[in-house]
Amino acid sequence: MDVYGYTGKLLRINLTAKTVSELATSTYTKWGGGHGIGSAVFFDLVKDKTIGCYDPANVVTIMTSPLSGTLTPGCSARSEVQGIGAQAYPYSWFTRSGFGGRFSSMLKFAGWDGIIIEGASDTPVWVDIRNDAVVIRNCSDLSLWGKDTWDCQTTIWEYVRGTADMNAWSSPQTGSGGRTTQRPAVLAIGPAGEHLSRSSVLIHDAACASGQGGFGAVWGSKKLKAVSVIGTGSIPVYDPKGLMKTRIDHVRKYAYHADNPIPISIPNNFQSPPGAGVVFEILGATKHECAKRPSACMGCHTACKSRFADGLGNDSVCSDSAFYVYADGPDIVYRASDLLNKLGVNSLEAYYCMNYIQALLNQGIIGAGTAIDCPITFDNFGSYEFIEQFLKMLAYGDDGLGNPSQFGQDIAQGALRAAAKWGRLDQDLASNKLNYPYWGYPFHYDPRAQLEWGYGSILGDRDINEHCIYRLKYLSGGDFYGKSAAPITPQQVVNILLAKMAPFDDDELILDFSQENMYSAHMAKFVSWHRYYTRFWKQSMLFCDSRWPDFVNSYSDDFIGSTGQAEPAYLQAVTGNGMSFEDGIELGKKIWNLDHAIWTLQGRHRDMVKFSEPYHTKIFRGTSKDYLGKVDGAWTFISAEGRTVEKQKFEEFKTAFYELQGWDTASGYPTRTTLESLDMKNVADELEAKGKLGA
Amino acid sequence: MKKVTEKTSSSLAAVTRRDFIKFSGLAIAGIYTIGCTPGLGLKKASWGFILVDTNKCQGCQSCMLACSLVHEGALSLSSARIQVLSNPYGSFPDDITISQCRQCTKPACMKACPTGALARDPKHQNVATIDPAKCIGCQKCINACSWAPARSIWNNEAGKSQKCDMCASASNWDETGGPDGKKACLEICPMGAISFSNVIPAQDDPDSYNVDLDSSTPTAANHARTGYSEAGSMLEHQERKRS
Repeated sequence: MDVYGYTGKLLRINLTAKTVSELATSTYTKWGGGHGIGSAVFFDLVKDKTIGCYDPANVVTIMTSPLSGTLTPGCSARSEVQGIGAQAYPYSWFTRSGFGGRFSSMLKFAGWDGIIIEGASDTPVWVDIRNDAVVIRNCSDLSLWGKDTWDCQTTIWEYVRGTADMNAWSSPQTGSGGRTTQRPAVLAIGPAGEHLSRSSVLIHDAACASGQGGFGAVWGSKKLKAVSVIGTGSIPVYDPKGLMKTRIDHVRKYAYHADNPIPISIPNNFQSPPGAGVVFEILGATKHECAKRPSACMGCHTACKSRFADGLGNDSVCSDSAFYVYADGPDIVYRASDLLNKLGVNSLEAYYCMNYIQALLNQGIIGAGTAIDCPITFDNFGSYEFIEQFLKMLAYGDDGLGNPSQFGQDIAQGALRAAAKWGRLDQDLASNKLNYPYWGYPFHYDPRAQLEWGYGSILGDRDINEHCIYRLKYLSGGDFYGKSAAPITPQQVVNILLAKMAPFDDDELILDFSQENMYSAHMAKFVSWHRYYTRFWKQSMLFCDSRWPDFVNSYSDDFIGSTGQAEPAYLQAVTGNGMSFEDGIELGKKIWNLDHAIWTLQGRHRDMVKFSEPYHTKIFRGTSKDYLGKVDGAWTFISAEGRTVEKQKFEEFKTAFYELQGWDTASGYPTRTTLESLDMKNVADELEAKGKLGA
Repeated sequence: MKKVTEKTSSSLAAVTRRDFIKFSGLAIAGIYTIGCTPGLGLKKASWGFILVDTNKCQGCQSCMLACSLVHEGALSLSSARIQVLSNPYGSFPDDITISQCRQCTKPACMKACPTGALARDPKHQNVATIDPAKCIGCQKCINACSWAPARSIWNNEAGKSQKCDMCASASNWDETGGPDGKKACLEICPMGAISFSNVIPAQDDPDSYNVDLDSSTPTAANHARTGYSEAGSMLEHQERKRS
């Protein structure tokens, strides 16, 4: 029987032995793709899950999905990276980070469903994938080690194509006959990863980043500079006619039309106009006043990136486009973004690190005349020279000017580790000089208000960076970004969402973000649904967070977005798999439970699951009515002003969540009953052998 | 600003009846496929031309995926008959080029084909197409193409050449393709960056198939509102390149 959507092969790379081999994807297709397969592979291949992130036995996976390389809008291009990360503090959890562009598509065209990276090389290497020809090459031949990510990629392009002419057909795989006009898709580390900066990322093309998790340093520890892939093959589809029709009809009905641009209330989602993710374009002072185009990942129906006539800030979005937004001039903002991506530095960590150092300098805690000598001052903050020195300090672990620096070494390990080394961690967390709410990741959205974000992050492994629910605030009718009043009522929003949230669609209070409900079993259900949905549909099938879910859509007559119908329709057309949206939620539950089992084997206990202190003690300041809540029997939008996450009530919430998951409430450990109900007896056995199985 | 309806360049080669017979293999004058629009002096070809506005392109390559899907039933960049080349480090508008078959009035590829596999299809408005049954995989059509990258495509899996036929042979689609039908690339493009015209573009001008598809429609103002500005039109860019 033909299998569609999968190539059938996973590429296994052993950097210690410098060997390549294959694993059959069929062993893992029951996990769907992307994250599901990555977690299952990690579970099988990493026998001792207590190892550190730099242990050669740490397995890093890069997975596609059956929808990669297809015409599925806002989905074709994502890749999912997993492994034990370097960024989190103090626990290096098994974690994930996705990125867009064209890497996953190209990997599928080359005939691979994913890449599994094991071991560590003794010398810097890069992996050269040309269809089924895979070679581990020394970096020295092309002098790659030491190059920034852009220079590394362009060097590899020319080498693989065998020509500097990027406007010609090339035959990258000798003897195969396959041809391409395309540049190889490359994922690379920059100097930050090479120097084991825990604030380092993986970069693809100009600005597609596997940003969270510190995978740049993990690759650096393996002496892996880059993975390049060029594919000249094809991806068969179960129902080509159905796929074309689904794509055309779906996009026509639900996506932005330049001829009929309905003002939408939710930015950065399925119905967005092009360019919506470029933050420096949204902020008037930094708007890039030159000719430009929208720039999209492969197969996407509406771009979230842009490319510019001056070539600055290409494809930069979100925090990497805005981390230095207070620069002296807009061109410095764009150049800073480019430098960040070239060095391979995490933008959010860079931003919060910068704030932390400034706070310490202002209070005379570090700097000249103190015990902690700091090589950087903020005298020239706003200039390009400042940000260049700062980013190089983070990347190279020196003074940012090429000279050794203990301060640079400390801060390159992340602000929390630096603070711990300086003996200031607890006090700076308590004072919120260090605004790191969950697992050592910098603040993104507030656990006291954006409940599913905070809970999902602390019950998981990292800042979730999943905007599914956050974006609903734009429907509140508030003046966020100057948008006009919402077109629909809160009750309509609730009705629409609830209908898409089986198996919890019979409990409307799952959407109530009020203080009275924030610790309830209802909220536990909502957080659970969100974990299941993102684990499967977004991280395993790889629907992009910038475009999905399509909950509320202004182009739809009744505002009902296409989520729930669209995703299974594309899956059906590509694979012939008749999986329903709810089936995907159920598989997401299984994947979530597998991840939790891995964290448990790494050493997690419920006592560790807590936000940083200020979120339990300091009240939230924000009167904007951004959150759904049921007040006096009627749905409305409410504010979270004045809240904290009350410790005792949070413990009660954890108990409710664990009960819902079927985990042991005393420890948070998974139970055999739950795992076997999810067909994971082997996982239960391993937990039991390690003394980590709940009662 | 080169518009779709603009009068073509005087460098357009005149197509004589002898040329027509040579290229089509047909001796019946009634099937003559290049004519003039009375009063406008515009020369048209029945098979038509895919025109693109690279300024509007977002580089998603959906056109490439759609092309391969409707023709081969599988998604592939290598067998797509329209090629989008993108440089993420380039400066707009030179960061993207679109290489579609130019449907030349005097196709060098057709002249080079030793078996007659590459010929005009009378059932589809005489669009130049490759009959896979006759193609022997010699690749002379690819080597003969006057444009880089070559517009005839090597399908390695089939071991034959193929080229854009305006979706005349697109069997993996519920629509009717061909010059008078729908074209998958045009239908799928989310930016409206692909168009179709029967007016013959200047044949020796490398930029004549890049046209401004935006400013004559309301979409220009809409795009400007989204932050996607038309500052620097295609014509201005071409003028700068020539100067």
